[in-house]
Amino acid sequence: MSEPHYPGAVAPERSRFFASDGVRLRVDAWGDPSAGPVVLLHGAFDHGRGFDLLAPLLATRFHVLSLTSRGHGDSEWVDSYAWQNDVADAVNLLRSLGRPAHLVGHSRGGGQATDAALWAPECVRRLVNIDGFGPPPEGFSPPGVPLDPRPPPLRFRDYLDRRRRAGERAWRPYPRLEDLVERRRAQNPRLSREWLRYFLFHGAREVEGGWIWKTDPEFAGGFGPWRPEWIGPGWRRLRVPMLAMVGTEPDSWRLDEAVASQRLAFVPELTRAAVAGAGHFVHMEQPRETADVLLGFLEP
Amino acid sequence: MISLRHGRVTLALHPLREGTGRALLCLHAVGGSAHDFREVARLWSGPVFALDFSGHGDSSPLRGGGYFPENLAGDADAALARIGPALLVGAGVGAYVALLLAGGRPDAVPAALLLPGAGLEGGGPAPDPAADTISRWEDLGAPLAGCDPAVRRLERDLRPPEYAEAFARAAGRLLLAEGDFPQPPWWKAVRATPTATPVPGDLVSGLARLATLSID
Repeated sequence: MSEPHYPGAVAPERSRFFASDGVRLRVDAWGDPSAGPVVLLHGAFDHGRGFDLLAPLLATRFHVLSLTSRGHGDSEWVDSYAWQNDVADAVNLLRSLGRPAHLVGHSRGGGQATDAALWAPECVRRLVNIDGFGPPPEGFSPPGVPLDPRPPPLRFRDYLDRRRRAGERAWRPYPRLEDLVERRRAQNPRLSREWLRYFLFHGAREVEGGWIWKTDPEFAGGFGPWRPEWIGPGWRRLRVPMLAMVGTEPDSWRLDEAVASQRLAFVPELTRAAVAGAGHFVHMEQPRETADVLLGFLEP
Repeated sequence: MISLRHGRVTLALHPLREGTGRALLCLHAVGGSAHDFREVARLWSGPVFALDFSGHGDSSPLRGGGYFPENLAGDADAALARIGPALLVGAGVGAYVALLLAGGRPDAVPAALLLPGAGLEGGGPAPDPAADTISRWEDLGAPLAGCDPAVRRLERDLRPPEYAEAFARAAGRLLLAEGDFPQPPWWKAVRATPTATPVPGDLVSGLARLATLSID
């Protein structure tokens, strides 16, 4: 199957692999390598090519680099996934650039970008967090999946049972790419089929019997004591300005505004932006408007 | 040595003693290995097993360095899947892992003996944003002989007391070693639950108490 086209989507001008903690991670790049760098971090179960719409618009002024996190897209799978490893990967990429960069993250990547700015403020000029303000206080569950109210030890038993089956787990192939498109669209109905066909072509691979996700099936299977109320207070220590961006449209993946405001109140230097006509995937739904806001916020 | 394939890692499970009666599974501290429990073999009448956690001893390292206690509990659970129900003896991070398993699988783990050792404290009860920097993440301290350098992150994970307490309340019986060592907040919370009993801190006394527990 040949690579789909999508209006405005520009394939990276350069792609390379970057080793962080010995793990091979894909970095896609657009724009003049001597221009000021902007690093982009994608959300969970997405991949670096989700920025094919936004990156070329930023590349008019910046050297834009999109990192695909471990276990996603064409980056390497690992044996065990933990949030801090991804934050360290982002910092390692930033440090490899030899100069401070602007840092932009979406959803999970937004939270990790914020942590990377806390971990290594000397590497970050300005921070953009696109709807990555953490799960709701009661925890997160995908649309249609009820929350699990059981205490940690009972949920932990499920984790152990999953681990016992870990070696056997693999994605089942969907007969056609179109089936993956419909599967993802059920989760994100705001994303058009045409865009998803483009995006998932790079997030899936063709195997015997059809198409499978590139994302590691073991990703997101972790367990720990982390709690949503830990988000926010630590942001008091942010030493770089943050632009917090959301879409104006209702979206089940979007954090409730009251909760987001409560957490963002800790950020010392905060700018807020709401993009009309977008839900959670602001940069995919309204790339031009997103780029305009970013170009206004990110110093040349 | 029994080689256990568990997901993408291969774990070394060491049978230290054969026997009949209740099986014992020993879980070492950060930087330790099954060898730390050789003495247990002559102090217990039933079968004794000791596991090398991922990144330690003869077990394979975790590609990508994602070490945390819940993951190690998965290692120990793979050993339980092989040997069946067992009493646990854990030292340091192994004690915390033993608590998680005793709470998560009370049917397979009727009791556990928790001993001090490396990685007992973890990274404290709650986040400390002032200490969260890339240098802290990277500064692993001196490498531990025979271990993946990244296993020292098992001295950094957060262990909220109420989380530990929930596991303690779900557990059968927990024996907590007394002694002259700093008790982290999670340990104190566990010690205050009805399932916990303090025991003398030496291995001989601890195992003797474990052997005399009346367990259904």
